[in-house]
Amino acid sequence: MAIQLSSELQVLLNDRKVYKALATVDEAGIPDVVLKHSIFTAEDGNIHYLELLESSRTNHNLVRAIWFDGTVSIAVTGPDKQRFQIKGRPVEVHITGPLFEKHYVEVRQSLGDVELSGVWVIEPLEVIDENISFRRKEEDVNRPYFRHLDRLAKTPHK
Amino acid sequence: MSVALKRTFQNELTLNEVVTQYPDIPRLVIIKTDVQRRGIHYTERALSVVDPEIHLVNDPAISELFGSRDGVEKPLPASLLLRDGTSILVSSTPLEENPYLVDLVDGRLALVDNGEFIEHVEFWRKPRFYDLKTSSGVPMRQIFSARPQRLSIVQSSYCHFWTDHKGCRFCDINNNNKKRNEDAKARPRIKPQDISETIREALKEPGRFTGICLTGGSVLAGNGLFDKEVDLYIETLQAIGENFATKKFPSQLISSAFNEKQLKRLYDETGLMSYTSDLEVLNEDKFNWICPGKADNVGYQEWKQRLIRSVDIFGKGHVATGIVGGVELAKPYGFISEDEALRSTLDEAESLAENGVTTIFVVWSPRPGSDFHEQQNASLDYYVRLASGLHQLRVKYGLTVDFDDYRRCGNHPDSDLARLI
Ligand code: SF4
Repeated sequence: MAIQLSSELQVLLNDRKVYKALATVDEAGIPDVVLKHSIFTAEDGNIHYLELLESSRTNHNLVRAIWFDGTVSIAVTGPDKQRFQIKGRPVEVHITGPLFEKHYVEVRQSLGDVELSGVWVIEPLEVIDENISFRRKEEDVNRPYFRHLDRLAKTPHK
Repeated sequence: MSVALKRTFQNELTLNEVVTQYPDIPRLVIIKTDVQRRGIHYTERALSVVDPEIHLVNDPAISELFGSRDGVEKPLPASLLLRDGTSILVSSTPLEENPYLVDLVDGRLALVDNGEFIEHVEFWRKPRFYDLKTSSGVPMRQIFSARPQRLSIVQSSYCHFWTDHKGCRFCDINNNNKKRNEDAKARPRIKPQDISETIREALKEPGRFTGICLTGGSVLAGNGLFDKEVDLYIETLQAIGENFATKKFPSQLISSAFNEKQLKRLYDETGLMSYTSDLEVLNEDKFNWICPGKADNVGYQEWKQRLIRSVDIFGKGHVATGIVGGVELAKPYGFISEDEALRSTLDEAESLAENGVTTIFVVWSPRPGSDFHEQQNASLDYYVRLASGLHQLRVKYGLTVDFDDYRRCGNHPDSDLARLI
């Protein structure tokens, strides 16, 4: 089921200075992670990813995902220690039409003589807050055995 | 709407059964294949959202080689696009042949079968040059036709094999041409300047096109067999080439089987990058029966050898032959069983692949203007196995088919699968 991204996450995704990593898997289940600037949100709540290379591993893996109902992950890290992971499903790719043309023109204006293979539409399914202090508090509450005893000692060792 | 169905597909695996049976073949490509196999019918609701200002609609004045399955020339949407970028080249089909419906579901265009939603689709979009004329006053849409990412020019919509009543039995080219000319007046020969101007205009639309395809009926005239056909293609390719900064440009010629001298001229004197010559059916006996003109003028073995020799000129990954998938099962002299037809076709395709020639297929759709108009095409199961088999051969022999893939053509289920190569 598609979910709504928070406005904080949308702002991060749409900030070109923010790094985003896109993780896909190949046929053998081997992960492929690449840093991308060209990931942002669309008005309908989906995520758009601009793939520049038709023959890239990422593109092959996205094609495999749309064909065989696979998922992808996007990791986002913000300037204020925000860390998010979005799980999503590629549901469409624009290889022609007005949206494709708009991005084809824009990407060539900003990057020079590059190709655009397609505009991938990724439907967000789940968001995980990966901020370490948030995750540690969550684990301390939900999984109280997952801790070393010295952390609980009256007199902590330095 | 009640219609007496001539074909019910009751003894064949359904779409969902085939999807389940072949988990390695994408459902979207299987849907495309079945839609091409069974054809489509547009509901009034679907037609209500066609906007000729935005969408590509059929126009009798545009020289398409082949006719529609219902034999009616109407301004209907040219074809469809699936959400993964796969094109479905398909024409309107009589309702009694049990086609898929293109309808509106939740306000969006969709394929529907027996009331069941299958997938959303989109109409192809019209390129901007379609509204323009060349300096000599010819509408540019009559020079080049468009697909989502391809430009096509039909050099000659008359095939000389028909003159001796030896046209391919599945083909309707000359009957279609006759009909169109009655509908839309005879089309004058295309002048190189009109070609050049149309390409120049088409290239102004950013990101719109990735390849140019030239094709036409066989032309037997000239000093040597096909010399005139070669001259025409060279003239056209040179006119196209005026618009490119590089000598070579992504292009595909689908033509007769030329000899080495003719192929060398095409390669050396133009920007052409790939060569396709269709054997139509990969079996010598069936070829002799189904393609008598090709058999008489060139012959099956020589056609094959010409393809293989063209790899020395164009290179591995730049030469293909097309077949009309399912026509090898035509009655009365075709294969009796689909298993036998598949085995024979893939064996022969392998002998070509070993020599650098890749094989692509189109789904045979029996057309009213062809000899085989009363026949039926093969089962969905057969087409899926054929697509998979041809794809596996490309993987085995390291062959790419980038000049005829989902984007630069869109008419071949097997080369749709090449997106993963
Ligand atoms: S060669 Fe055969 S398939 Fe091609 S146009 Fe002529 S008759 Fe038709």
